[in-house]
Amino acid sequence: MVEENKDKNKEKELNFEALKKELQEFQKQKDEYLAGWQRSRADFLNYKKEEIERIEEILKYGGEEFILKILPILDNFDLVEKKLPEDLKNNDSIKGLLQIKTQILDFLRIQGVEEIKTIGEKFDPNFHEAAEQVELKDKDSGIIVEEVQKGYKINGRLLKPAKVKVVK
Amino acid sequence: MSKILGIDLGTTFSAMAVIEGGEPKIIENKEGGRITPSIVAITKSGERLVGVLAKRQQITNHQNTIFSIKRLMGRRYSAPEVQRDKKTLPYEIRESKDGGVEVKMGERFYNPSEISAMVLQKLKQDAEEKLGEKIDEAIITCPAYFDDSQRKATKVAGEIAGFKVRRIINEPTAAALAYGLTKKKDHQIVVYDLGGGTFDISVLNIGKDTKEDTIEVKATGGNTHLGGDDFDQRIMNWIVDNFKKDQGIDLSKDSLALQRIKEAAEKAKMELSSVLEAEINLPFISADSSGPKHLLYKLTRAQLENMVSDYIEESIRLVKETFKEANLKPEDIEEIVLVGGQTRMPKIQEEIKKVFNKELYKEINPDEVVAIGAAVEAGILQGEMKEVLLLDATPLSLGIETLGGVNTILITKNTTYPCGKTQIFSTAADNQSSVEIHVLQGERPMAIDNKSLGRFMLDGIPPSPRGIPQIEVTFDIDANGILNVTAKDKATAKSQSIRIEGSTGITKEEVERMKKEAEMHSAEDKKKQELIEAKNTADNLVYTTEKTLKESGDKVSAEIKKEIGEKVEALKKVKDGDNIEDIKQKSAELSQTIQKIGAELYKASQEKKPGEGEEKKPGEGEEPKAEEGEYKEK
Repeated sequence: MVEENKDKNKEKELNFEALKKELQEFQKQKDEYLAGWQRSRADFLNYKKEEIERIEEILKYGGEEFILKILPILDNFDLVEKKLPEDLKNNDSIKGLLQIKTQILDFLRIQGVEEIKTIGEKFDPNFHEAAEQVELKDKDSGIIVEEVQKGYKINGRLLKPAKVKVVK
Repeated sequence: MSKILGIDLGTTFSAMAVIEGGEPKIIENKEGGRITPSIVAITKSGERLVGVLAKRQQITNHQNTIFSIKRLMGRRYSAPEVQRDKKTLPYEIRESKDGGVEVKMGERFYNPSEISAMVLQKLKQDAEEKLGEKIDEAIITCPAYFDDSQRKATKVAGEIAGFKVRRIINEPTAAALAYGLTKKKDHQIVVYDLGGGTFDISVLNIGKDTKEDTIEVKATGGNTHLGGDDFDQRIMNWIVDNFKKDQGIDLSKDSLALQRIKEAAEKAKMELSSVLEAEINLPFISADSSGPKHLLYKLTRAQLENMVSDYIEESIRLVKETFKEANLKPEDIEEIVLVGGQTRMPKIQEEIKKVFNKELYKEINPDEVVAIGAAVEAGILQGEMKEVLLLDATPLSLGIETLGGVNTILITKNTTYPCGKTQIFSTAADNQSSVEIHVLQGERPMAIDNKSLGRFMLDGIPPSPRGIPQIEVTFDIDANGILNVTAKDKATAKSQSIRIEGSTGITKEEVERMKKEAEMHSAEDKKKQELIEAKNTADNLVYTTEKTLKESGDKVSAEIKKEIGEKVEALKKVKDGDNIEDIKQKSAELSQTIQKIGAELYKASQEKKPGEGEEKKPGEGEEPKAEEGEYKEK
């Protein structure tokens, strides 16, 4: 009889230990899940705050994408001016057409866009893109001698690099 | 716990991503770009440039600007690929002491891993700046066909850059991870990767018990010199040839003109992925004795597809060859994933679909998907992407059928679950004692055009005029994608619900089919919807008119009652028909006429109480004046 009781007690003890262990594991899991849930909630709230900042950023630089698309059109006006034969340079109709270019430039200026300095400056990959190398004995290496396509900054940041010819 | 950076170290471009808020997110580099050219250079003044800065000065510094270094990583100098590339690369390559490759940049020779490390270092710095924290660990991807030596070279590159490289994972595996395809077990995936300069095709097997990092690569194939750049070249050739024919000028000799043409060609190619015709407009492209010459051509999508058909066919041939090698047939492949910008081309997607007859996984930006996948792996390693936290989204919208057979959506498609949405509905007829909740899945506005998921009734609604009872309908999807729909009558607190499984386990093919149908029928669906709305408005109008007339009784004159009665009859006649114009017109007429009831009622209320509101007449309504001399006693 005593042996039976002893066995029964041992069984109870083992069961109890097993349950205790299980309980501890569940406790650990619960803590993990709760922490994860709280973190997730915090991430969400932080995301909402950041979203407002992001929207402000977008509004600020939103026009940029659009302006980038207009620039190639402006480039073509530059080409007209550049390749204009001498005899047409004083033509009033041409002058009128080119005045439209100034109009576009003025619009861009108000958006905070400015042209990047090129000719005479040292080549700087932060603002310039090399389109061609030229051999010129009387100029220093790395100096820009010709502007192939204008580059622009917007509010101080690079918008589009200028394409230039650099002395070898 | 610091973040692990997921990096796609590509031949022409690299990208990086981390897990933020449980989601993989591409990190922009310092210049604001989501991808970084894999280019390194040393300038004449000894300055080291990496990325887009290196690219910008490439023309002035060919010999010291190193690009496509991935082609040389971990390879032996004597390898045929190296010898082939050596012929075209403008920088110097030589054999290293151990038979590998060395490249010359500036004053000395570098191991290709050192060059790649410079790219990785820039990514590390930019990421740390953007995230505001140190990043010490990375997961870097490499092609599935890379051998041990090449993988080691990639790992070494990461270590030189200052990373502890947790894993080197295969690019196709990363792509599969990005789409969550590794969650499902026991299936094959094909990854079609057509980038700027390389084409890789891989067959992956996700076995029954595989963990993400033991996914089997069953076969690989491809062409290391086929990519989007070749497509651009074809367009450029077409432009130059046409110009030669039209103007007699050979633009291929003019490097500046060629640069403009290259840009325009790439732009046109990209545009033709979404429109059928693109314009190539280059004024002042050249000049001769007669003056300036301009270039203006239109390129159609069909023309482009013709121009590059052999490239596309070659890629499909390689696809078929690759899975034949794996002893598989197209039917054995369950998913196809697209990687690389060139896969945006509709014709390519069409041809791939023809081979496998399945929908393609292409929603994630194909230029970024590998980096995203690397970040997912990072997340899994860190436990941020516990299986339990990998959440899905509903593929199609869920709603109920409402008055007129309309599909009223409660949960829109692509909503992440678990989630819940509640909306209040009401009855359509007076004394309606029960409502039927018919649960629908799909995008089309008419209930009948969508998939019916189930229906149930809620009864015991106390008798009330239509529109008065408040029936709260709740849609709730749990983490396992099981939908529970509950309808509760707020008055009686009585509720009924239905449990629907499998509403989220719909195949990709079905989803695409339903979405396409919705698009195709959107015009006629809109008309149907407008008709239903007009009918509902008409019904409401008739109901409220008749109710108001009844309640107002004698207050409204007989003539007005007759006039309104006629308008109601006219509307009743048309509202059950299909002529929306008639319904709208008769409704408007009735609407106008009803206003007369209001006017009458207000007039009647004025006549009932004389004096009120009128100016006070002296003596009227005032207290009797005390007459002089009289002494009034109570």
